[in-house]
Amino acid sequence: MASSSTKRQSVLPRGQSGPKAPVNFSSSITIADSVLLTGNHTINISSESVVHPRAKIDSANGRITIGRRCIVHERTSIGVASSNPTPGESRDGVVIYDYATVEAGAVIESGGTVIGEGCLVGVGSRVGRGAQLGKHCVLTPKTVIQPGEAVPDFTVIYSNGTRRLDKRGVIDLKNKAQARQIEVLRKLIPSNPAKFQ
Amino acid sequence: MASFTPYTYIQCPCHDSTSQSQSADDAPPTASQDLSESGDDHTFHPRAQRSTFSLYPLEYLLYCDVCHQIRCPRCVTEEIVTIYCPNCLFEVGSSSLKTEGNRCTRSCFQCPICIGPLAVQALESPSEPALLSAENATTPIPAGPWVLTCSYCHWSSSEVGIKFDKPQGIFGQLQKLRYGEEQNKHVVSGDTSPTKHDSAPDTNKARFAALKSFYGSQTVNANPSAGLSGLGDYGLNSPGALTRIMSIYSGNNSNGLKQKNKSTVMREADSINEGFRASDLDESSAISQLRRDGWDGTVTCDQAKTQAEEGAQFADQLWPIPYLLRTKRSKRCPVCRHIISKPESKVTNTRWRIRLVANNSIPSISIKPLNPPPGSGLLKPLQPAQFLLTFKNSLFDDVKVTLATPATTPGRFASRVTVLCPEFQIDANPDNDMYLDDVLKDGDKERQRRRGDEGIHQAEAGKIWERGRNWVSIVVEVVPASLRIEPPPVLLRKEGGPAPDLSPLREDEDILEIPMFVRLEWESEASHDQVGASVSREKDVREKRELAYWCAIGIGRISQE
Repeated sequence: MASSSTKRQSVLPRGQSGPKAPVNFSSSITIADSVLLTGNHTINISSESVVHPRAKIDSANGRITIGRRCIVHERTSIGVASSNPTPGESRDGVVIYDYATVEAGAVIESGGTVIGEGCLVGVGSRVGRGAQLGKHCVLTPKTVIQPGEAVPDFTVIYSNGTRRLDKRGVIDLKNKAQARQIEVLRKLIPSNPAKFQ
Repeated sequence: MASFTPYTYIQCPCHDSTSQSQSADDAPPTASQDLSESGDDHTFHPRAQRSTFSLYPLEYLLYCDVCHQIRCPRCVTEEIVTIYCPNCLFEVGSSSLKTEGNRCTRSCFQCPICIGPLAVQALESPSEPALLSAENATTPIPAGPWVLTCSYCHWSSSEVGIKFDKPQGIFGQLQKLRYGEEQNKHVVSGDTSPTKHDSAPDTNKARFAALKSFYGSQTVNANPSAGLSGLGDYGLNSPGALTRIMSIYSGNNSNGLKQKNKSTVMREADSINEGFRASDLDESSAISQLRRDGWDGTVTCDQAKTQAEEGAQFADQLWPIPYLLRTKRSKRCPVCRHIISKPESKVTNTRWRIRLVANNSIPSISIKPLNPPPGSGLLKPLQPAQFLLTFKNSLFDDVKVTLATPATTPGRFASRVTVLCPEFQIDANPDNDMYLDDVLKDGDKERQRRRGDEGIHQAEAGKIWERGRNWVSIVVEVVPASLRIEPPPVLLRKEGGPAPDLSPLREDEDILEIPMFVRLEWESEASHDQVGASVSREKDVREKRELAYWCAIGIGRISQE
């Protein structure tokens, strides 16, 4: 395996593309070695959250805050600069509240974006700058939330933007499942928070 | 402007039998079109409304190798091989289909909101997360109410108040919840008197049964000998059928005559027990619900349509949809009844036992511009453009191809079409083990051609453009018509002819589509389907075959300027 890895070089430039970001980690988080943290604002990650390998968190456009027991999957981009060049009024980049999950390949733009408690941002979704997701929202894969949009609590967005309210009332169940998943992920993902501090 | 992909649609010969008599009156009344020719002389009009139903891409077509004719999905006769549930892939017998309907009766349901598959889940988690470690394999089986949930849109059956006692037999439980315990009584009692029911039938099924038995008994009471009661049972257990048979055998005609003279008055169903239900005109509850829930509380048209029973208006009236069963079908040639397509009968096997696709029997036609014009790729009106048509032979015999097109395309905008080489021969499709050899040879030729006469290679009338292992490309020259809509000059107008069509450009009328008649001629081994002595005597007897069909070739869009 070692020989093959030396042969196959990535065409992309190695290493960090920006300055080493200031971080503020809780001691109980799980963060993989190959996560990319860049930017000059603080990246806060609270207790028991999990960041998968190759997630990209960029604080160049504002502070990134990730709450407790969140899961950030592979190849997600959190804190991407918005395509709109005018500076936003918010100093926060992205705030992700407790128990939220950001699935693989999702993009969350920076600039006062809020992902509410217990939200699920589906595979390949895109959340625009300054969008506010309420509590326990579900974005099914490939959903696009426009910049500045406010999504009420318990909204499910599915099939090209159709919306409905989730009336199951299974928050406790969902939180328990999230905690259990984090427990398993901790065993699977070798954590190396010291690399970033 | 949307990009345009050239296409070839082939007309199935089944079109002839149905449309020839009617093609004159349903073709669009266009000025340039004159369908006065009759019989075989008429050229095919790809834009006629009826043509839409007989043109297919080559991939859709089958080929009967006994009649040597193209067969389309419309003209084959189909037979059901297997009936199965698309979700659990369980095979359903045709007998149970008759008794239990065309939906899966196991635990397969679709979400009424987004039609995703539903899963059975326990409503309450049985144990504390602290007790559950990953090694703890013996997870206690969760007890308590079960619900159907959609993992996509997160709908759950608890939203409409459906909970199940056990995770198995969901279909039965749902039926019980929906129709109550006595549904069986309603459905089975076909010929018993409806007055026996003490409770009013409230479901559609039960009401239908009640109405049926009521009107059945009405016809019998009114006219016992006339058993032609359309509403009654057809089985022998119905009293109507019995009296009819009795009257036939006894020859008692006087009864019937007497009945004819007397006009009997039939009563209509008027009570709830007889299946009558007054329309509920009081919609105040619906209106108040509409006020309370708003737009989100109502069902969409699609949701209402996919429901197994009709009549849902609000989102809380939506029930899980049992999966519709599907079929695997075999296809027969309509003429010789030979099977031309037959899937494996096992549900999980996706292979075919027999599949005679047209792709293996008739040449494929691909289109590309000879000199790709820069820019938009639209055809410039009134400027000649040349296109390469490449015919690829898939048969193992040499094929002689003859092409014919009308000089101008039919329709309002008549473009001129010239096939530079309407007759040519394509070599046979060689065996596969020769393949590598041929590729190498082809490659050599290609290189030579590129090196050599790049500049002087020009399209010539009567000569093929290029020839390969089993393909030939020819040049077609078109002069696209101008899309300007203006009345024709007075001199050219026919006296008493139809008024010129000056309506604006219709959808896709700017596509230059060439009707082309393709005639194939080849020699192949005589078919061995007749068990004759002659076949065994002379083994290498060759048989001449021919096949002819119309196709529509879409070349490109004409620019509008």
